[in-house]
Amino acid sequence: MLFLQLLLNGLQTGAIYALTAAGFALIFGATRIFHFAHGTAFTLAGYAYLFAWRAGWPGWVGALIAVAVATLFGMAMERFVYRPIQRHEGSFFTVFVAAFGVGIVVQNLVGMFAGRGLATVDTRLSFATEVMPEIFVAPILWIAIATAAVLFAALTVFLTRTHAGVALRALAQNPDLIRTYGLSANGISVLAFAIGSALAAPAAIVTAMTSGLNEAIGHHVMLISIAATIVGGIGSLRGAALAGLMLGVAESLALQFVDTQWAEAVSFLALFAFILFRPSGIFGVAMAR
Amino acid sequence: MHIAPTLRRRGLLAAAAGLPLPFVRAARAQPSGEPYVMGTLFPMSGPNAEYGEAFTRGAQLALSHIAADNMLRRPIRLQAEDSQALPQPSVVGMNKLVNVDRAVWVLVSWTATSKAVAPIGDRAKVIMVNGGAVGPDLAGLSPYFWNVIALAHLEVPVMVGYLTRQRNVKRVALIYVDDPLGDAILGQLRAELPKAGAELVGSFSVPRAAQQFGPVAARVRQTRPDAVYVASFGGQQSQIIKGLRDNGVTQIICSYSAFSIDSVRQLPEAVGALYTTQKLDFESGDPVTRRFAAEFRARYNQTPVAYHANYYNAAYLFGLLARQVEQAGGEVNGDALREAMLRTRSFDLVGGRGTFDEQGNLMTQMQVNEIKGAGRSEIVQG
Repeated sequence: MLFLQLLLNGLQTGAIYALTAAGFALIFGATRIFHFAHGTAFTLAGYAYLFAWRAGWPGWVGALIAVAVATLFGMAMERFVYRPIQRHEGSFFTVFVAAFGVGIVVQNLVGMFAGRGLATVDTRLSFATEVMPEIFVAPILWIAIATAAVLFAALTVFLTRTHAGVALRALAQNPDLIRTYGLSANGISVLAFAIGSALAAPAAIVTAMTSGLNEAIGHHVMLISIAATIVGGIGSLRGAALAGLMLGVAESLALQFVDTQWAEAVSFLALFAFILFRPSGIFGVAMAR
Repeated sequence: MHIAPTLRRRGLLAAAAGLPLPFVRAARAQPSGEPYVMGTLFPMSGPNAEYGEAFTRGAQLALSHIAADNMLRRPIRLQAEDSQALPQPSVVGMNKLVNVDRAVWVLVSWTATSKAVAPIGDRAKVIMVNGGAVGPDLAGLSPYFWNVIALAHLEVPVMVGYLTRQRNVKRVALIYVDDPLGDAILGQLRAELPKAGAELVGSFSVPRAAQQFGPVAARVRQTRPDAVYVASFGGQQSQIIKGLRDNGVTQIICSYSAFSIDSVRQLPEAVGALYTTQKLDFESGDPVTRRFAAEFRARYNQTPVAYHANYYNAAYLFGLLARQVEQAGGEVNGDALREAMLRTRSFDLVGGRGTFDEQGNLMTQMQVNEIKGAGRSEIVQG
């Protein structure tokens, strides 16, 4: 029974990880920008939902605001931070430091305006009831899984069946070709940031309802996103999503076999194993040099 | 959590700039002389920043009282360094306070960070006063390291006694953070529970950065505890409480004084949780306590808790000791302040007359509190 309980807990965590990791992988895959501030989009979306909830607004309004905030933040980062840097120099390190700096600034601003300490959305959706002997399930589990499944299905349709989606994939493979066809690489890049950042919002809302938010939560999100992107295969959206889900499940199931202290370490052991034995990740393409 | 945003912003900015509002007023009242530098090594950023904010408020109020009472000939400058509740930034901050700012008195917190900075203060003979960390080995860490908070070896037996006698608890599970504090509380529970006829049925260590506690709750449920002792701090302890309650753990949740912060006391899932603190009755007849409580409420629009009182005491004690040294015509430094403390031993502080032992630990009585919701808690064992 413990195994089943841990599996269900892991699926809920994994759904959150999958959404954030997929957003990061989409941005990185399409633009090759190491968007370290993706965790900041997650934080802002979570707090936006929290404020809407505290204001007594309906949940769907809060969710829309959260998505809008994350999307606008991602677009602003592309337009006002990454694009100017890339115009002048564009080294990986400069981009990373800029994103990291924005993350620190936003973290402190959130702390100043929203308070320091854990903030949660108090809802019965996160309250588990005993559905079988020793098995406790909260409604938020099904919401998290269903949301992740619907969003991935929609994203797959968008990337494969629409011109904008095809252009996004093309940007990842050959930016020059995009320009040759008269498309704006900048515009498609903004689209990647908008969609990738929006994917962080549902995960942030679920987190606000379950484990809660604090201003520094973005760092943890980024660690998981990076790990999932590497495990899934750099640039592979489905790889990152699957890896995020696997990391969440592994983190939880590990408690069946090891001490609670080692639960998160299991995720990173998986990461090391992939780096050592399959550096291209689950869906990555191996390249010889 | 309910403090007016402007107050919070102003307080934080002032603390970050090393120029707290009380000092500005103090400096105007006593413009003569080089100020004494009182350093703070609190987490001002990151997941534990709520503590730094609370600690700073207590210290700031004490400085305003020292200035208002014209206790010293020289003003005091509060110099804040951000420890992030981590040893490495704390060592950097302590080195700056000691070698650059020439601090004579440093307020510290956190077991691991206190242990990291103690050798620096010891070498420089700078008094370090802890009002937040409870690791038992902080007692006697250095002649210059004092504690104005009851350490875990005083907190845990009180909680164990209350649980076993008043709540008929026989089985206790522990969730503890993997650091010196968590290890210390694990050791205390292992020693104290059998003495009280109870047992530790499970101990679950979690990393400091862990955020998901649903799976841990499943493991805790398996041990069939009557009570779950949480030995963590900051945002994580609230996450643990929520994780336990959301995932079917209905038994008593209890902890040490770390539960006295607002974010825990306002958490709906924390209603009914128990925690120990030193004995503090803010409505008591003693004038220091009443003045502290009344002016704290007026200044911050908030009911004070143990941490505010501890760091008020930690900062106010400097005023009391430095006044003695000044009156004797001596130089205010670590040795002179320590001699003054050992000579006097007993002081009128928030909570009543407090007496220090030879190692610099404030001897205090304990109480058990129960969280009642909406930021309120009640004393259930005084």
